[in-house]
Amino acid sequence: MFSIGELFDWLTDPENWTGRYGLANLFVEHLTLTLVSLAIAGLLAIPIGIAIGQSGRGETLVIAISSASRAIPTMGLMFALVMLMGVEFRQFAVVLALVGIAIPPILAGAYSGIKSIPIVIREGARAQGMTTLQQIRHVGLPLSAPSMVGGFKIAYLQVVSTVVLAPLVGLGGLGFGVIQGLALRDFAQLTGSALVIVLLSITGERLLARAQRTSHRRLTHSKIGR
Amino acid sequence: MEWAAKNLDFVLELSFNHLLISLAPLVLGSVFAFALVRFTPVKLTGTIGTTFSAIYAVPSLAIFVALPAIIGTSYLGPTNVVIALSVYVAASMFFSTRDAFSQVPKPTVFIARAQGLSPLQLFVHVELPLAIPGLIAGLRVAAASTVSMASIGAIVGVRNLGYLFLDGFQRKIPEEILTGLLAIFLIGIAMDIGLWALGKALTPWTSRSAQRV
Repeated sequence: MFSIGELFDWLTDPENWTGRYGLANLFVEHLTLTLVSLAIAGLLAIPIGIAIGQSGRGETLVIAISSASRAIPTMGLMFALVMLMGVEFRQFAVVLALVGIAIPPILAGAYSGIKSIPIVIREGARAQGMTTLQQIRHVGLPLSAPSMVGGFKIAYLQVVSTVVLAPLVGLGGLGFGVIQGLALRDFAQLTGSALVIVLLSITGERLLARAQRTSHRRLTHSKIGR
Repeated sequence: MEWAAKNLDFVLELSFNHLLISLAPLVLGSVFAFALVRFTPVKLTGTIGTTFSAIYAVPSLAIFVALPAIIGTSYLGPTNVVIALSVYVAASMFFSTRDAFSQVPKPTVFIARAQGLSPLQLFVHVELPLAIPGLIAGLRVAAASTVSMASIGAIVGVRNLGYLFLDGFQRKIPEEILTGLLAIFLIGIAMDIGLWALGKALTPWTSRSAQRV
């Protein structure tokens, strides 16, 4: 059966860290898939969120998307896309699914960040003669930064946990050890891989939570008015 | 949807299991979160909050397979899934329960106390009813994510709608995967409507005052 000693042995065996299915390579794959998807989703969702928040048009759409997205199982979405697009395009299909998973929270974060800026401040910026781009650059973005980072944090959590399932459709990532460990009843590999996944997800969550606090503190302790 | 029609009995059986394995954690997790909010000293709230947001960050499959090493349960089967999902529900309900009760207006509580209500009466007749909208809102969020997350339990051998994803993928039947998606979505919507109706039924005064305005 399984013991802590076995887990320790498995984690400290260099053989489990190197090679195609070593932890190092799987970790890099996991992080790359996550970050690439988050970047694409951010490039799409942030401008749209800002535009909706700024113009006030399409608000119901944002709310509908973010509440409907919670009810869709990420696992099923990924499987369906890989199946419908064909297994040979699975890399593309998985990234597409991950982007789809990441968009709703990022969109909601950008939208509600802009939306929560007091109307006095937004009108004030306009009254000073700022162009729309200047309003976004100097007022909208800095003031909504905490909310946007918050959106990215939720998206990160969703994407990192969905990437764990990527080995089921033939891709890599840290889930590989969990899926293989389950199939081969190798409980040291299973638990060791789960532990690395836990470390990756919690570290990312803590970093983004800190970024959120920093961006918030920068606002409340800014030099403006001093 | 030819596949769904042919396998209707099977889909219904899986849907029923799916509903059960989502409802149990919702009840257990909410009760646990409520107990934590109600009975832990204020000093610990920050620590519990940080711990819960960290736990919430952990991918569900990782928790499903890490639990046996921590508490010694079997690797396969619904026990780990129910425990893990309960922890997720508790993690999200902890924050909404705390906020729901802190939104109860302080003057209302003071007046009730001045009228001579005992702590239990105060809780049952004043605090709980006024916290219900917040609690229901939190439950709706928790229910939606629990229903969709429960499908991952199929990987560790739970017979729920997630099985349709695994089986459909292996046997290359897209309709099977789409049936699973649709069924989970419908269960989510049904639970959402149910909770909304429950909230309305438990707070009749909100609709009455709305009619007057």
